[in-house]
Amino acid sequence: MAHIVTNKCQRCRFTHCVEVCPVACFHGDEERLYIDADTCIDCSACIEVCPVRAIYDQYDMPEEYQTCIAINSKALDFPVIDTKHEPLPTAMERKKELGY
Amino acid sequence: MKKFYTIKGACPQDCPDTCAMIYKVEDGKIAKVIGDPDNNLTKGRLCAKLNNFAEHHYNPERLLYPMKRVGKKGSNDFARISWDEALSEIKKNWQSIIKEYGAEAILPHAYLGNLGSLNGLTSGDRFFNALKTTVAEKTYCESGSSTAWMLTYGPIGGLDPESFAYSKCLVFWGHNPLSTQTHCWPFVLEARKKGAKIIVIDPVRTRTAKQADIHLAPKPGTDAALALSMINVIIEEGLYDAEYVGKYCSGFIELRKRAAQFTPEKASKICGISAENIILVAREFAKSKASAIRLGVALERHAGGGQAIRAITCLPALVGAWKYPGGGAVQMTLWSYPLKWDKMSRGEWIKPGTRVVNLLDLGAALTGEKYNTDITPIKSLFVYNSNPLCMAPNQNKVRMGLERDDLFTVVSEHFMTETARYADIVLPASMQGEQLDIMFSWGHFNILLNQKAVEPAGECVSNTELFRRLSKTMGMTRPHLFMTDWELIDEYVDWDSDTMRGIDLEVLKEKGWARLWVGGSPDIRAPYSKGNFPTPSGKCEFVATGAAEGNHVKPALRSGYTYFQQGSAIDPIPCYIPPYESVDSTPELAKKYPLAMVSGKAHAFLNSQYANEKLQKERQGEQIIIIHPNDANKRNLNSGEDVKIFNDRGSFSSIVEISEDIRPGVIYANVGYWDSMIKSQTGVNNVTDDRHTDMGESGAYSDILVQVEKM
Ligand code: SF4
Ligand code: SF4
Repeated sequence: MAHIVTNKCQRCRFTHCVEVCPVACFHGDEERLYIDADTCIDCSACIEVCPVRAIYDQYDMPEEYQTCIAINSKALDFPVIDTKHEPLPTAMERKKELGY
Repeated sequence: MKKFYTIKGACPQDCPDTCAMIYKVEDGKIAKVIGDPDNNLTKGRLCAKLNNFAEHHYNPERLLYPMKRVGKKGSNDFARISWDEALSEIKKNWQSIIKEYGAEAILPHAYLGNLGSLNGLTSGDRFFNALKTTVAEKTYCESGSSTAWMLTYGPIGGLDPESFAYSKCLVFWGHNPLSTQTHCWPFVLEARKKGAKIIVIDPVRTRTAKQADIHLAPKPGTDAALALSMINVIIEEGLYDAEYVGKYCSGFIELRKRAAQFTPEKASKICGISAENIILVAREFAKSKASAIRLGVALERHAGGGQAIRAITCLPALVGAWKYPGGGAVQMTLWSYPLKWDKMSRGEWIKPGTRVVNLLDLGAALTGEKYNTDITPIKSLFVYNSNPLCMAPNQNKVRMGLERDDLFTVVSEHFMTETARYADIVLPASMQGEQLDIMFSWGHFNILLNQKAVEPAGECVSNTELFRRLSKTMGMTRPHLFMTDWELIDEYVDWDSDTMRGIDLEVLKEKGWARLWVGGSPDIRAPYSKGNFPTPSGKCEFVATGAAEGNHVKPALRSGYTYFQQGSAIDPIPCYIPPYESVDSTPELAKKYPLAMVSGKAHAFLNSQYANEKLQKERQGEQIIIIHPNDANKRNLNSGEDVKIFNDRGSFSSIVEISEDIRPGVIYANVGYWDSMIKSQTGVNNVTDDRHTDMGESGAYSDILVQVEKM
């Protein structure tokens, strides 16, 4: 069990979450973030700070995002992101699209 | 319209982080509990155990009313009664017991199910001392560590975990902060960014060990040999701080002589790690200057746990690490708090000569194995803040004791634990959001006020209210027993202490917490840069002045009572005491039971608390043991199978996980699972032993041998 970044992060990448993560377990590529499940300590701090609620505790993650577990398992292929980045240029538009 | 407000609180758990909390209340119900974003450590987050703390308050299985047993002991057959009935039942039983056997036939059993100054470890002390019951010696955790730590340094809080950010080398020794002290980790990462090395010493490749630069996995219970060997390397290679040692430490010559016996080659054999690695770690530690050691509770749980801590505590002083911010060691910051333990316990109310029972011996005491029970038997047990059937060692013995039909047992609880099932009377206890308390910590220097957010559920009461009610029931008249919670807060804290500069109740009510005045901010704090240790010699004592009665329990853990201390002499110079049970020290026993078993804290449970919560169960998974592939192959085991773990004391079942996260010859199991969650209906403590260690009457929980076989 761990926390999962869902595909909602795509085209957003707000990266508020990396600032509150106590164990620096977020990794990222140009498109989105991933959580390294082995390092995540399930503190849930990241959930609330995400402007689009892209992160879920696997425990109560909606069915539709189940495929994201496999996507997050590739986290270690990408570098650690532990400082805040500029959101992607499409972020505000995407946020609206997602209804936040 | 919904009525909404927030109120400041603090986590009640026996965890070093004591998080600052905010209760969000909606229409009289706690809707959410979050970590205080403004707190220097909590920084807005709780943990895997507590991040659904609001829901915990409303768990449908919570005990809400007093109950009386109507079925067989252990059967969970209870009927609701009123508080008046419960109290008069207690009174009737106790009065007749006291008449026939004296009040010493009553034994209180408590630990840190709540860490509060008001509702925690000592919350019943005043009542039981006034009633003149047997005195409980509560040494479940950190007792041996405390005794050993103070022999070296005196009662100091030590290094501030916030100062880890300024350390150059961080050693976590028998400690897994990524599960049990998570809020210190950002400081560790900050140090790492500046080039600090992280060293973990643990037989298990824990979450923390996985993050380390260097992980040493010694054989369980050999830490003293490793530390002495590091001392040897540091001295022989001239890496020690001669000036600091000369001015602020005593007994260097003796320590040097003792350490000389532990060459890396010799220690390598004892500890099962390479001599090169011992030298590597010793050099890294000595050369980093601002080197820090966080001592874990696990260290004390072996025959020679106290001496191991004595040896380890010498290391930072030897290299002069205390001179630098971020250098030194931390056992429990608690020792810096201005708490009036004497007022909390009222040890002076105990009649000299009153019997003391060590709670790790609960089974032995209840079954009449120890403590002159032929003269004064134990006829009643009062359990609060604890779940001994799960957490005390030697579970079969404890169960046998609890089954006694002539034992009148009262349990105050949140849930129907397996211990509570053996009660004659069950009393419902309130949770942290429903009570007032002032909280200290053993992992930082904040003092916190936990304000009551909502009224207690059902007929639950806080421990302070419970003991006020019992005092009245038993016809007591001492005014101290009837003080209100606010009066207790006033009495238990030394508000005039220097450490409380600028902190008063108004500040705490508003902000929820404040940092004690303990010698400057974390970036500059180095209060022992010029020694000044509060030991008899004023120095860091490599040779302990207090050795003649070295094996004693700190008064706070025994209601302030000074009689019947074990009080035996210890070796004044740190030494290595081999395990009670190991392949090397008991080869005969090892033929039958060849595997050492280490039991540690679960990531999502706090001891047995939260193990009944759905979310935490899901996070933690089922009871597993971790075994090395070599040992698994010998037994033909496959990961995921059910196995039986056993020795002469008992057995439990578990799912097996085969992994190199454990060294060969050792298995690892998490404690905290309730028996009902395990196939065998017995827990990890079914195989542990109630032997005490060399100091502070600590439990030798992880000093045992077992065998594992397919079920
Ligand atoms: S749950 Fe905690 S540890 Fe896990 S990714 Fe979120 S912030 Fe990091
Ligand atoms: S258990 Fe520890 S980390 Fe978790 S909320 Fe309580 S004090 Fe904080």
